[in-house]
Amino acid sequence: MARFIIRSIISTIITMLLVSIALFFLIEVGSGDISVKILGVFATPEQRASYRAQLGLDAPAWQRYVDWLIGNDWRAERKVGYPLVTATNPQTGEQGWWADVDGQLTRWKMEEGQLLTLKRQDDGSSTAHLSSGGWEVNEEGQEVFWGVDTKNNAVQWMRGEGAEVWVLTKAGLRKEGDGPQVYIPLRKGLLRGDPGISLQFGRPVAVTLVPRIRNTLVLAGVAFTIIMPLALFLGILAGINEGKPLDRIISITSLGFTATPEFVTGIFLIIIFGIWLKVLPAVAIFTSPNAIFEDPTLLALPVLTLTAVELGYVARMTRASMVEVMDSPYIRTAIIKGMPKWRVVTKHAIRNALMAPITIIMLHVNWLIGGLVVVEVIFGYPGLGYYIYRSAIFGDYNAIEAAAMVTVAIAILTRLIGDLAYTLLNPRIRYA
Amino acid sequence: MSELVKAPPVLTLEDVAIAYKIRGGEIEAVQNVSFEINRGETHGIVGESGCGKSTVAWAIVNFLGANGYVKRGSIKFQGQELVGVTGEELRRLRGDQIAMVYQDPMQALNPSMRLGDQMSEVLTVHRGMEQKEAEARCIEMLERVYMPDAANVMRRYPHQISGGQQQRVVIATALLNNPALLIMDEPTTALDVTVEAAVLDLIAELRRDFDTAIMYITHNLGVVARVSTRVGVMYAGEMVERGTVEQIYEAPQHPYTQGLLRCVPKLGSDKVSSMLYPIRGRVPPPNNRPTGCIYGPRCDYVQDRCRNERPKLRQLPNGLWVRCHFAEDINPGEWTPSEDIAPPVVGIRDLNAEPILKVNNLKKYYEVKGTQLKDVLGLGEKRYVKAVEDASFKIPEGTTLGVVGESGCGKSTLIKTLIGLEDTTEGEARFLGFDITGPISERDQSLIQELQMVFQNPDSTMNPSYTVGQQIARPMQLFRTVPKAEIRAEVIKLLNSMRLGANYYDRLPRQLSGGEKQRVGIARALASHPDLVLCDEPVSALDVSVQAAILNLLLEIQQEFNTTMVFIAHDLSVVRFFSDQVAVMYLGQIMEIGPAEAIYTPPYHPYSEALLSAVPIPDPTVQQKHIRLEGSVPSAIDPPSGCRFHTRCPRRKLLPDDGQICVTDTPPWREAADGHRIFCHIPLETLRSFDPVISQEVS
Amino acid sequence: MAVQSMTTKRQPSRWEKFWNTASIVFESRVATVGMSIVLFWVLVAFISLFWTPYDPNASNFTQNLGPNTTNLLGTDHLGRDILSRLMQGTQVILLKTRLPGSDISIPGGVAIWGVLGSLSLGTLLGLNAGYRGGWWDQIIMQVLDALIAFPRIVLYLVVIAALGQGDLVVILAITITGAPGVARLVRSLALDIKTRDYIRAAETRGESVWYIMFREILPNARGPLLVDGMLRVGYAIFAIGTLGFLGIGLPPPDPDWGNMVNEARRNIFANQLAVIWPAVAIASLVIGLNLFADGLREELTRYQK
Repeated sequence: MARFIIRSIISTIITMLLVSIALFFLIEVGSGDISVKILGVFATPEQRASYRAQLGLDAPAWQRYVDWLIGNDWRAERKVGYPLVTATNPQTGEQGWWADVDGQLTRWKMEEGQLLTLKRQDDGSSTAHLSSGGWEVNEEGQEVFWGVDTKNNAVQWMRGEGAEVWVLTKAGLRKEGDGPQVYIPLRKGLLRGDPGISLQFGRPVAVTLVPRIRNTLVLAGVAFTIIMPLALFLGILAGINEGKPLDRIISITSLGFTATPEFVTGIFLIIIFGIWLKVLPAVAIFTSPNAIFEDPTLLALPVLTLTAVELGYVARMTRASMVEVMDSPYIRTAIIKGMPKWRVVTKHAIRNALMAPITIIMLHVNWLIGGLVVVEVIFGYPGLGYYIYRSAIFGDYNAIEAAAMVTVAIAILTRLIGDLAYTLLNPRIRYA
Repeated sequence: MSELVKAPPVLTLEDVAIAYKIRGGEIEAVQNVSFEINRGETHGIVGESGCGKSTVAWAIVNFLGANGYVKRGSIKFQGQELVGVTGEELRRLRGDQIAMVYQDPMQALNPSMRLGDQMSEVLTVHRGMEQKEAEARCIEMLERVYMPDAANVMRRYPHQISGGQQQRVVIATALLNNPALLIMDEPTTALDVTVEAAVLDLIAELRRDFDTAIMYITHNLGVVARVSTRVGVMYAGEMVERGTVEQIYEAPQHPYTQGLLRCVPKLGSDKVSSMLYPIRGRVPPPNNRPTGCIYGPRCDYVQDRCRNERPKLRQLPNGLWVRCHFAEDINPGEWTPSEDIAPPVVGIRDLNAEPILKVNNLKKYYEVKGTQLKDVLGLGEKRYVKAVEDASFKIPEGTTLGVVGESGCGKSTLIKTLIGLEDTTEGEARFLGFDITGPISERDQSLIQELQMVFQNPDSTMNPSYTVGQQIARPMQLFRTVPKAEIRAEVIKLLNSMRLGANYYDRLPRQLSGGEKQRVGIARALASHPDLVLCDEPVSALDVSVQAAILNLLLEIQQEFNTTMVFIAHDLSVVRFFSDQVAVMYLGQIMEIGPAEAIYTPPYHPYSEALLSAVPIPDPTVQQKHIRLEGSVPSAIDPPSGCRFHTRCPRRKLLPDDGQICVTDTPPWREAADGHRIFCHIPLETLRSFDPVISQEVS
Repeated sequence: MAVQSMTTKRQPSRWEKFWNTASIVFESRVATVGMSIVLFWVLVAFISLFWTPYDPNASNFTQNLGPNTTNLLGTDHLGRDILSRLMQGTQVILLKTRLPGSDISIPGGVAIWGVLGSLSLGTLLGLNAGYRGGWWDQIIMQVLDALIAFPRIVLYLVVIAALGQGDLVVILAITITGAPGVARLVRSLALDIKTRDYIRAAETRGESVWYIMFREILPNARGPLLVDGMLRVGYAIFAIGTLGFLGIGLPPPDPDWGNMVNEARRNIFANQLAVIWPAVAIASLVIGLNLFADGLREELTRYQK
């Protein structure tokens, strides 16, 4: 059994790694120039190039992947020469990067060709001083300086030659002098809990993502706890009545619901309950992030939609497994031993019949997540699925990558749980 | 029947017909079956596959599935009519008064329930016994069936014990409520011969002690001869003959029974001095049975009356029941085979001919992965399954080497290694002078075509997607042995020599019977005219009448092409009949090798002796020495030290110190005669002094 | 001459074989119902190639009409005839794939090509993993596991976010998401089939690995593959509908059922029928394919018994 579990865990880790590579390269490499989307089609090539450099997009793809996964502060530290740390800005509550110069958190800034040292005070503000030195001569004989700027980048300035850079502000692109030559946008990396900045919202992805995940977990959790017992019950009921009218009714109905796309089911439910009967809100209106806790009826239609689609699938899997088990020689043995039917079903059949579907059901969780995307879009539910959808439409790559990794992690972890449950249920593996 | 009947029979079947509803009608799978079983009696039901013997068993317990039912007749159990009994009443009978044991015990036991729970529920449900008491009774019963460590077995799951032990558990469960009737459907078919022998002993013993009526269903004529007191022979859904076991085996009156007995080789008979006579034709399918005698189309004595009138089961003066119009007129002694089934006449093969295959100290080890944490991480010590250890033999051209041994003895691995499906771990193997220790991909095509194989399972030997012709033609195209234009003609020629007509060319495998598929498999192997054919249990999945035909066919081929063969089987009679040399394998090691006749008479290797003593022989007059092996076959991972057989050897105590040397030292090869070698510590003189295992009772 | 007689003899047997297979469908009521629904839509698709009541993209009528004699299914929020749009919408799913940057379409709908793509890719991977085993199996399965770990719609979103909208992109997305499932199926079939003696026979003849995989194993996997393929066409239509609903599916000018639902639902309080028609169309086609595949599978297994 140890072998089985360790194998599953190793395989899970490799899978996550592969997924992250696939995801990163598909989006970052495949999606073309993000600057077009953000700056619009009328931006000039220099504006684009400058903007891309500020996002670190001029680095090679593999470098960006590593940065994305495990961060780049350790890499930048070697250039800056000081440990890089984060400190919370008391005004915004967000994290900012600083160099730890002998215990003094420090940033730098170039103004009119002058390098200023900004020293962080305890209240979060900073005091500016003229920088005294630290310039180095590079191979080409230019004097350069590596430091941390005020926008959380590790940057390299060149003495006397402040670059012209285009900075995106709320008012649009603005040209600034005194810019650095090279940018390394500092990040801790996904594995260290920092998936980067959302281009859409301009805030760290982690901040915007967490409440969404919570909302989705509530929705999925409620749906799951309704679906599972009901579906298993219906599946077993159909399975032991194979070929009889009850089985036909359950089977065909579940097939019908499973084969109907979520958006069709959702729309029908809206029409029936929201418009014709007017008993439930047709559109979930989320006045606050906590709306679902204040008005649980908002959950009713989304949950019902998910249930309709998933219930049928699980019920059908269970039924198929139950039919197979009821047909097996050991059930025949139990019947020939004169065991009463209920005992045959409960003691002999169910445990074996649940073994096969449990892994498949757990595999199916990612289908459920797929369903969540659609359901959340239909009902405007502020969850993870809607977030992915919006990010995908916008091209907000940091956000999609993070959110997709979360969904994949959920899918893989549930699969792992399914494998473990199977191991525990199946004595052939447990006592191998 | 002159005997005074004291008690009414436990089970009486009268004129039972069982039908299955299918689309657009129904099929009578079983017709006119009548027999009775008394207390303390084992009634054998014997017949080839598809003759309806299991259907009768299922009908008794009323478990025919949704579409089957007893159409006519009555089934009485202790005077109570069973036909039509359903629901609670039926449930009370099942598992309490009537118990059942059937084939594959692994399948019959619930894989996810502890054995103790599966057993004790019979007592708690039927007898309302307390769990504690029930468990104690189960342990008692397990000990009664000689289950080692019974209390511990109660807590185990089915996959944790061996096949023979599983069957003991199933039998013990069946006996828990001391049933009046025990139905056994092929209970030993899935077991190895030495395990089978022990289980059969157990069944005989339990019948005496419990005074149970046993209905014993099997296809194996040898097994039925060993366990039964009376025997019914079934053919195509009818019982054609019924009598005491002696009557059936010594003086069968129905032509079918006579034919069956002519199909099986007697243990000790060989291809030179004896012949097998297959039964022509095939069993008619249930929806297409003749109106007259169902055996008519295959019968040598068929007359007009047989074609028009279905014979009734009638009793002859000697008490035998037979379903034949002319039973009294038939004298099996005067029977001569007709042209179409005449077996080939085979000469003695020359064991001194030039060897075509020489194998020297061949080893095949498989690496196994451990289950410990360190094994998964690759830190554990490497362990090996020693599937074949130091195999050495030579096969002279045109002769057959038979390899026998129980499952897991390495016989299949040996030929897989020879043909190149597995590569050799160590040792030497030369075929036609070429080294063949590498995998098949490293061999020259001209070498590949000289070394071909015939497989075991007729249902999987042919690719279901291609016609017979395409499959036989493929090797010809691949090896370019025949010009393209002539391939079809050549295939048909080959089909003809397999006694299959040209019309088989375009047939698909699903349109063929098992025997026909096996013939096509042989034709495919022969298509490239190989010098050496490796036969992996080519007849063990076939019914005896078909088996005889295939054996004859192989002999004919050998006679015609001087083909050399390696013949693997677990049936010792068949191997003896077919082979010139025999090798006996145990746990990867050849224990004894020599000319076929030498293996079957002393001096024996103790393992060969045990095997011979275990073989069920289809002749109740034969006396066999009673030697049973204890325990089960050890794992091939880290096999026993010294002699691999030492853990179970019944003869070890003949050596000083109870055979300590067998534990510590590898045995020497003892040359008993020219080419007859025995791998044993016991001196030849002692081995020679053993009595023969088999002796004929003088009748 | 022998060859001649062979072909003339085999021609009817193949036709017979086809009929035998086809008649299996009619044995099952479920399969018959499913097939009827599917055939209905295929017929509609072919008719739409030559005739639709009106121009599906022209706003010729009053907005949001209910069903009437002129517009049998009514009109949508832009005054377009819903029946014409529904009919035209079948084409991109079942009959044609539009190549980007030109007016050229190739025969075979997006759903069909997508499924063919996943069947081909999945078969290739599954055969290699199942038959060769060892490292091939480990690596292929690991990669497929990673793909399967993606929630399907998330993968669609990612692919479309990366590559943009278009018929070929949707085909690619369907191929990528479908291939792992096909590969798993083929792998399990190959694992089973490779234990058969006829595979041993081919190996002992020294046949190449590719011959064994594609000529010995694959033909015996076609039954389950056929059923799976049919189910997958259902999934593909399901997916196309969903993408259309999310507004990132098949691009205009052809009407897309999912997008019809998406657009009409903005007026859902005014006109429910405009939502219901395309929704019913998608659901019926997917359910039809599922019923067909399901009934067929049941009959095939019974047939094998």
